Amino acid sequence: MKILIVDDSKAINLMVSDMLHEAGHESLWAENGQKAVDIIAKEKVDLILLDWNMPVMNGPEFLEKVKSENLTSAPIVMMTTENKPDYIMKALEMGASEYIMKPFTSDILINKIDLVLGGF
Amino acid sequence: MTSEHIYKFFADYIYKHSGIYYKESDFYRLDSRLNTMMKSLSCATVEDLHKAYTTNVTKDMHSLLINIATNNETYFMRDNKPFLTLVNKVIPEILANNKSLTKLSIWCAGCSTGQEPYSILMSIAHKCTPDVLTKTEITATDISTDALSKAKKATYDGLDVQRGLPAPLLVKYFIKESDEAWRINDTIRSRVTFGEFNLLTDNFPASKYNIIFCRNVLIYQDKDNRKSILEKFYKALVPGGVFFMGSGESVIGLGLDFKQEIIDGTLVYKKPA
Ligand SMILES: C[S@@+](CC[C@H](N)C(=O)[O-])C[C@H]1O[C@@H](n2cnc3c(N)ncnc32)[C@H](O)[C@@H]1O
Ligand SMILES: [Mg+2]
Repeated sequence: MKILIVDDSKAINLMVSDMLHEAGHESLWAENGQKAVDIIAKEKVDLILLDWNMPVMNGPEFLEKVKSENLTSAPIVMMTTENKPDYIMKALEMGASEYIMKPFTSDILINKIDLVLGGF
Repeated sequence: MTSEHIYKFFADYIYKHSGIYYKESDFYRLDSRLNTMMKSLSCATVEDLHKAYTTNVTKDMHSLLINIATNNETYFMRDNKPFLTLVNKVIPEILANNKSLTKLSIWCAGCSTGQEPYSILMSIAHKCTPDVLTKTEITATDISTDALSKAKKATYDGLDVQRGLPAPLLVKYFIKESDEAWRINDTIRSRVTFGEFNLLTDNFPASKYNIIFCRNVLIYQDKDNRKSILEKFYKALVPGGVFFMGSGESVIGLGLDFKQEIIDGTLVYKKPA
């Protein structure tokens, strides 16, 4: 699968893309929501991993835009240090399919992706 | 270097009391376990530890050894599919066949740290009508007192609650107490009773449960013990009851009366009605 990582941290991008490659996925990187909007306008991705706090356009702003303008059908998985139940609920209400709290391990990431693609 | 007869002593003890079988080629797996026990009991050497267990085994020493011998690996919604089959097919069928059923009894045998019984209940709460949850009573048992005390606390850290558990279920059924402590809510918690139960040596109830889960537990038993435990599970089910095993397990070749059935991709075993 082709997975778009949207996160302002280069270190996170490197770590997550390693985990994804290990599991046989392809990855792309956008360092903020605006860059991600540009990418999905040009390229079809299968899943989006989305950070919460980013400059220019943050995660919730990206979610809002993508959902209201129907910019992609790819499921969106939040991936963030924000771990208050209210935040998780808010992201799910805004249309995120799953939520991963940092820190996480590779098996959690892969399992959450599996859940989105055919879970409960 | 631990000598062979010491390994053998502990492996025999574990086998005798739990059925968990350490083959000679697996004796090295006991090393770190024996080390942990030495620390707990302040024994300087493995010979001292051996001596302690050959002299007088207190209840605490017994539990320590059994706790250490067990593998408690588990996670929420393990394998996912069985839980869907349970709530979409198995429970509706049982209820349809027993219109007057007031209590749905489930036994989760080898429940480890509680993820499995809580997953069953969250699945029911999430997918069934509310009356099903109030009818459900789970008895969740294990041989490991350590695993059971974690299960009773119903509190899991940030990694545990992400392993297998969909986020919508996390926010719906857990209360966040701190970054590293998410507790199962009382509605779910109150439907399960935990207790110590040794599948090898304790007496099974007769014709009591509508559903039994015993997943990834009998893989540690040899064939004879596995067969006799499965026969006891069969008796513990009510007619029409359903038995769930782990995804890699099967009862084939053991000459049991179970009727095997694949429902929505999940292999289950039924006791004919
Ligand atoms: C790998 S865990 C499986 C947990 C859960 N059922 C699952 O599938 O995720 C196996 C559990 O079986 C328990 N167990 C092993 N031998 C047992 C016995 N003789 N009686 C009761 N429980 C036993 C262990 O303590 C351990 O918690
Ligand atoms: Mg960030």
